[in-house]
Amino acid sequence: MTGDAVPRQSFTDKHHKALLGLLAVVIFFAAWQSIFLVMPFNPLFISKPDLIFDALVYLVVSGDLFHDLAVSAVPFLYGFSLAVIVGVTLGIVMGWRQRVAYALDPIMTLFYASPLVALAPLVIVFFGVGVGGKALIIFLLSVFPFIFNVQAGVRAVDPLLINVVRSMGGSERDLYLKIIVPSVLPYIVAGARIAVGRGLIGILVGEFFAASEGIGYAIARFGDLFALDKMFACILVIMAIAVAMTEGIRWAERAAFPWRAGQ
Amino acid sequence: MTDSRALDADIAPAGEFSPAGRSLWRRLEPTIYGSASILLLLVLWEVLPRLIPMKAGTKLFFTTPSQIAGTLWNLFATGAIWAPLGVSASGFAFGLALSIVVGLPLGVLIGRSRTLNAMLDPFITAFNATPRLVFLPLVMLWFGLGLWSKVVIVFVGALFPILINTYEGVRNADRTLINVVRSFGASEWDVARLVVVPNAMPYITAGLRLAIGRAVLGVVVAEFFGAEQGLGVMMVQAAGRYQVDVVFCGLIVFAVLSLFMTWLVQLLESRLSLWRPQKAGGE
Repeated sequence: MTGDAVPRQSFTDKHHKALLGLLAVVIFFAAWQSIFLVMPFNPLFISKPDLIFDALVYLVVSGDLFHDLAVSAVPFLYGFSLAVIVGVTLGIVMGWRQRVAYALDPIMTLFYASPLVALAPLVIVFFGVGVGGKALIIFLLSVFPFIFNVQAGVRAVDPLLINVVRSMGGSERDLYLKIIVPSVLPYIVAGARIAVGRGLIGILVGEFFAASEGIGYAIARFGDLFALDKMFACILVIMAIAVAMTEGIRWAERAAFPWRAGQ
Repeated sequence: MTDSRALDADIAPAGEFSPAGRSLWRRLEPTIYGSASILLLLVLWEVLPRLIPMKAGTKLFFTTPSQIAGTLWNLFATGAIWAPLGVSASGFAFGLALSIVVGLPLGVLIGRSRTLNAMLDPFITAFNATPRLVFLPLVMLWFGLGLWSKVVIVFVGALFPILINTYEGVRNADRTLINVVRSFGASEWDVARLVVVPNAMPYITAGLRLAIGRAVLGVVVAEFFGAEQGLGVMMVQAAGRYQVDVVFCGLIVFAVLSLFMTWLVQLLESRLSLWRPQKAGGE
């Protein structure tokens, strides 16, 4: 045992989990690739990692992938921004004003409990197949995590701090800007983590229903064309985006609000 | 409902900050405000389309609560709703049952084994973050337009809340209790049966509540895009024919289904936690 063995030991210890995970992923793809050495391969039914990789390269090089992603991103940005604005505002008011909460809580719970995706066909019929209809679906799906999280966040504000501001003669506006907003921010970010996933569902629903471009449309079209390698490539891209967004927000949460880590 | 919402948000709900001694008005206030606002919404919805003059074409897009109630009554009275409802409910039930059968043991397993947890973690993270809807075209290719593609979509959606919550519950099991049971010569099976699973029960039921929401969502989307029968199919066809009231009827039935199942789980939850000395984790 030499001295430099110790840090190396601690490296594998520290990254034990990540290494095992990586190993599992590698085994998974290797098994997927090699199982067709013994099983008949039917390209209309399943694809192989090497074909999927080729398809991915083709989609990237031809620019189709980025075009579809850019098209899908537009309604997502509109809908999600609107959800942030409306959700945070409503959540703060509902958390802060007890009577408003009494009045709106049952309605919101009702909306949240009902599968709002079910309104998608109606939204498409009302607002058409353009950006507006899709943005509205995304808004409807992603606004509620913000409302409920922000409401919970406002309720969790330390009453002592509120009393201090009041004693010092602070106005209602001071209360909102100096106490409530800073302590509610972690809850907003946590809500965003949930809302991102729901927003992605919104994109897919909107594009499966009615679209001529976009990443959801691409998946549905490649499925119809039995181009399974391209479909798998698009699915993997969406998985990567979803993981990057949720884990990115989780990481930002830990970095920005370390006192909430582990909650 | 507050609990499941807050759990969806990974954040524990804050307690109500109201004084202990409440007058009658104080106690009734939330109910009064809540029902008043719902009533107001319904009345506005009923009255506004009558007051505002609209062209006949625009009127096609709108419906009123009374119309929806009438349609709902008709659907049940003529029995037209039972066939699609049965199809949707069986897809929901099979998928949810399958996700419990798979998710519960798997959750206990990865909660008990560090290696297994590390190896499966990338897959669980990836599949949990991804909207299950992306797999729908693939699932339709593999399982066709019948019941099974619906079951698979419901299963994939409901599996992860159950799996992850079971895992969390198992991880939070009391080390001392496990050691005690082990000292008395218990096998891993006994540890799971006597300590781990009972302790994880609040987490599991909370996961189940989340899973119900996901499962209903799964039924709806699966039927929108890849089915021949079911409530979702009925809704899409109605939307295409501008029968807005039928769409809302479907929405209401789905919402009632999801609320009813949530209520069942809550019942189960209170049954199972009777023995608990005080409210343990899980929220």
